[in-house]
Amino acid sequence: MFFPKKYHAVTIASILIVLSLVILSFNLKRPDEVGFVRKLVMEVAAPIESLITGTFEGIRGVWKRYIFLVGVEDENRSLKKKVDSLTNEIIRYREAYLESTRLKEHLSLRESQRMPMVSARVVGKENSSIFKTILINKGTADGMKAGLAVISVEGVVGRIVESSWNVSRVLLAIDYNSNIDAMIQGTRSQGILQGGGAMGCNLKYVERSEEVKVGDAVLTSGMGGIFPKGLLIGTVVSVDRKDSGLFQKIEVMPAVYFSRLEEVSVILPEEKPL
Amino acid sequence: MIFYLVLPFFALVFLVFQTMILDLFFLGKMSLEISLILVIFAGFYMDAMRGGIMAFVLGFLLDCITGSITGIFAFYYVSVFFVSRIVSNRVYAESVFFIGLFTFFCVLCEGLLVTLIYRFIHGVDISFHLFRVYLPQAIVAGVLSPAFFTFFSRFEVLRDVGES
Repeated sequence: MFFPKKYHAVTIASILIVLSLVILSFNLKRPDEVGFVRKLVMEVAAPIESLITGTFEGIRGVWKRYIFLVGVEDENRSLKKKVDSLTNEIIRYREAYLESTRLKEHLSLRESQRMPMVSARVVGKENSSIFKTILINKGTADGMKAGLAVISVEGVVGRIVESSWNVSRVLLAIDYNSNIDAMIQGTRSQGILQGGGAMGCNLKYVERSEEVKVGDAVLTSGMGGIFPKGLLIGTVVSVDRKDSGLFQKIEVMPAVYFSRLEEVSVILPEEKPL
Repeated sequence: MIFYLVLPFFALVFLVFQTMILDLFFLGKMSLEISLILVIFAGFYMDAMRGGIMAFVLGFLLDCITGSITGIFAFYYVSVFFVSRIVSNRVYAESVFFIGLFTFFCVLCEGLLVTLIYRFIHGVDISFHLFRVYLPQAIVAGVLSPAFFTFFSRFEVLRDVGES
């Protein structure tokens, strides 16, 4: 090597530490830029993750179908009861839906279904204690870019934080870095829904005077420009007004079951007329 | 030379596998960073060049996989590797108790680093996570690390590399 053997380890240590610090400071200054190597890693990691996920899902499926059958009869009975009550509920909701559709048309409001969307498959998950992200099989080649909203049939999933050519990383709504402008459906009180990791989400900045109840639906408020108004995020599971502050502490259970996500839709920005 | 060529691929497979396996067992509530234990092991037994580069590659790839800011884990893993080297040269590092304690300390330090980054860069206070998640994580990693050390040492290639 070019340096004395005595200082071999020290030199290597210095080079590697300086190199990692340079990379770190570069990325801190430009957090929105996705480097070439990082894009490459995402491209390579996606098929490996997909393969391993597929294998585990297969094993899990076999476990559920053939081995884990204890208590299925009881479950079946209670599910039948649930189906009956849900059927009644669906009829009521259908009526409400028809009414709201008529009102929306009357007011010429833009409906969420009219938004341009791209469907994507979940090919990888990062579900550690801190980082909560997923990989989807659509990238810049399909028009993906950082900041686009991602939803599923159940509700809001999160937003894209980085994209390579064919893969994008989605920051889930439960990640600590996730902040979504939200509102309570009943009271229309607005706040910021922040990710709380495995514990779900917390709705912040809702005034103590607002009447928020357990079970209230939490929707996107449409502020912030990322998520359209009215998408379901989750339901309130606990409300705490005991703290001596201006705001109440609201815990929200996301509507989306993130570990079972398979397909999502990415909402594309609407083309503005010239 | 082959070591450097295959390292990125095997490191990537290892990290993806680690993420998937742990998600299956802990459902995202806790994680066990086997890669960090591997870096400590490398610090104890591998030479500076190969071990250092392995730590850097593992850290860098972990940055890419977790979606964190690139460089955080690269920096931390390289630091842990060289600290482990220094420590192993000065104390009897073969002791099970020492391995466990050192791993426990490294996982806690990582938790502290992540907490500080979230606090000062993202403006999110996750200090409660340090006790609720990282402390149990550090205990589990500390308890399991001697077993992982035994497992890693079975791969004679790593040992040979360190001795050469």
